[in-house]
Amino acid sequence: MEDIEETDLEQEKELQPNEGDDAQQTDHKLLKLPLSRIKAIIKMDPDVSITSHEAAVILAKATELFINVVSRDASIRTLQAKRKTLLKKDLETVLETRDCYAFLEGAIDT
Amino acid sequence: MAERPEDLNLPNAVVGRIIKEAIPEGVNVSKEARLAISKAASVFVLYATSCSNNFALKGKRKTISAQDVLNAMEEMEFEQFIDPLTSALEAFRKEMRGKKTAAEKKKKEKEAVNSSLEEGGTSGEKEESDEEVTYQGEENDGFIITVNDDNEEGEEVEEDVEEVEDG
Repeated sequence: MEDIEETDLEQEKELQPNEGDDAQQTDHKLLKLPLSRIKAIIKMDPDVSITSHEAAVILAKATELFINVVSRDASIRTLQAKRKTLLKKDLETVLETRDCYAFLEGAIDT
Repeated sequence: MAERPEDLNLPNAVVGRIIKEAIPEGVNVSKEARLAISKAASVFVLYATSCSNNFALKGKRKTISAQDVLNAMEEMEFEQFIDPLTSALEAFRKEMRGKKTAAEKKKKEKEAVNSSLEEGGTSGEKEESDEEVTYQGEENDGFIITVNDDNEEGEEVEEDVEEVEDG
């Protein structure tokens, strides 16, 4: 069984080709995910009273980063398995590997 | 958190796009994998929210701030997010400041145009104008704005802090 190569996390900062462009263009391009949907999820937490607009924006951005990192990690597994399609099992393998994904246990089970 | 956040899945197309940008060229994503990533992302939001909220409560605050979110990222072992998020926050704040100034300007432009239209007796239609209107706001002294139809963007500007209140 091949080992999963650890993604170089520091590359995260550089590999944001859209960030720079987006920040230079006007507004709404700072985010890809719809803020309304993020806010809807935030509201699901009964313990949360109020969230500042900034916090919601940053949470949305963090989610984009999360999707990015998780996808990249999974795609490394895909390539190591000599496939061209990222499958759910690639994701599952990745989620089992790193501690920071522990909170997702059982989350993606159908 | 035993509930499935299926109804709160993020839009497939957007998630798909973020995934595509993250993975090497030539690699595709199965629908199943995309859905799984999307679900994971929703759970991420939930967990991050809860974590952030804890920091807010620790600080005896009821409002989750951006700093609480940053602290949560560290707590969740996503330290690598902190730098890009800090930059994004800066950019966002800058944009908000710019928007606010632009909105204030626009508002006063409109008021000035309206009052000049009233004087001219034209109702409803905006004049095609090379008309120069003297800005008569309290804070400015004689700042002149040329009114064009092109300025009409219809863009609403929200306040800086929009509070998401949990009913």
